[in-house]
Amino acid sequence: MSLLSSARAATGRPSDEPPPPDDLVVVPARHPWRWVAAAAVLVVVAQFLHGLITNPGWDWGTFFGYFFEKSVMDALLVTLQLTFAGAILGFAGGVVLAPMRLSKNPVLKSVSWGFIWVFRSVPLLVQLLFWANLGYLYDRLQIGVPFGPGFFSFETSTLVSAFGAALLGLALHEAAYAAEIVRAGILSVDSRQLEAAAALGIPRLRQFRRILLPQAMRAILPNAANELVNLLKSTSVVYVLAIGELFYQVQVIYGRNGRVVPLLLVATVWYVILTAALSVLQHYVERHYARGYVR
Amino acid sequence: MIELTGVTKSFGTLEVLHDVDLTVPAGSVTVVIGPSGSGKSTLLRCINHLEKVDRGRVRVDGELIGYRRVGNKLHELSERHILKQRRDIGFVFQTFNLFPHMTALQNVLEAVGKEAEPRGRELLARVGLADKVDAYPRQLSGGQQQRVAIARALALEPKLVLFDEPTSALDPELVGEVLDVMRDLAKAGTTMVVVTHEIGFAREVADTIVFLDEGRLLEQGPPAEVLDNPQHERTKAFLSKVLV
Repeated sequence: MSLLSSARAATGRPSDEPPPPDDLVVVPARHPWRWVAAAAVLVVVAQFLHGLITNPGWDWGTFFGYFFEKSVMDALLVTLQLTFAGAILGFAGGVVLAPMRLSKNPVLKSVSWGFIWVFRSVPLLVQLLFWANLGYLYDRLQIGVPFGPGFFSFETSTLVSAFGAALLGLALHEAAYAAEIVRAGILSVDSRQLEAAAALGIPRLRQFRRILLPQAMRAILPNAANELVNLLKSTSVVYVLAIGELFYQVQVIYGRNGRVVPLLLVATVWYVILTAALSVLQHYVERHYARGYVR
Repeated sequence: MIELTGVTKSFGTLEVLHDVDLTVPAGSVTVVIGPSGSGKSTLLRCINHLEKVDRGRVRVDGELIGYRRVGNKLHELSERHILKQRRDIGFVFQTFNLFPHMTALQNVLEAVGKEAEPRGRELLARVGLADKVDAYPRQLSGGQQQRVAIARALALEPKLVLFDEPTSALDPELVGEVLDVMRDLAKAGTTMVVVTHEIGFAREVADTIVFLDEGRLLEQGPPAEVLDNPQHERTKAFLSKVLV
């Protein structure tokens, strides 16, 4: 109010007055409570870090002794193999299942729905044990005419190794989730895009590959990255099949030497590092698919 | 060029087109006017089989669209054949529907292939966008986007081009640039069917004006007849509202 009136006064008497209103300096509002909150949080963080350094229970010597140890490295490789093979098979399945579920064909639609329903319902752990015990249900598997004669026959236990069972379980589990992620991506694309493609006479498969999928990727990627991180951690569940992945291996080691906490920490830190690497990858892939969306 | 006979189309219980007959000669411009919900867009979408007709026939250049006659039955064509037929029929949408992840040039070339790049550039130059070939749709104004969409529709060298309210989604000051491009196309002898509310443009460019109301084709003729001397009460009422 006083500002306004002095401004008015200034226009009235142009001689020895304060500067005109457009010369006034803006002072931003102060936020003292932000400083208080930041300080409080920093105290808690400092306490935690102090604990990490001073508490002998962490046993950092053992941690560093095993962090790059050969058996841990081999186990890390198995974890990575399970993660990437599982993700590739899972998302390949998802890319097939999602359009099936969105199709007008009632058979394709229900089969896809049923698959997703079953493999989302069964806990991964339970599923893995099922696959590992497949030989109990079918001792031989064969390839041939459905309900007719077979051409090749295998013993189940030779075909489905422990690693195979683990990969099969992860891939099927992943496919069910990936299908829904891909479906969400497809639904996020404006239907007029496909209409435009149809009006241009672009063949159906090309519509899917060139028009639909690149746009759907924008919605798919953040969820897919989430799912990939989830899968990375889910590989630890396959320890029940005695597969030498990261978590199984650190258990073996602490079973031998009793240093539980530092060895769990070895696994934990590797999972954190791998997740960070995936996040970096996610950033660049998302940037690729963002072309055309930033001004 | 285009021949519609007895075209009838319902969405559920709502009949949106009733027994429409229309002939569009090659090289002519037909403008379809009428109140909203009168079936103008549906009529256009029936011509390239984006909508299936319930009864009646659509012919382009003598060829049945969407169906094949066997004896006295019409068999619907496979999607592959329908897509092939659509390559002869350009379509420009009200909302442009450019592919946002592709540049202007990529949009134009998507249906024809990269070999046609010189032609794609030439088309973009023709619609006044020679300097925007590498711009993404989001970097363009509405009017520029619609001109890219027109270039994209022309890339397949269609026998005719259908325009579904091409300027209705544009800011008023951008309407002119799109109409200019369409005017040039008309002068070059392109067969066009245009659904629009731009009566001035219709008067200037159209060979035939068609008035549609509640799915019925009530009146058609040269602009001077339909716009200045409408015979039907509904046409008079509609024109009195739009010609202010």
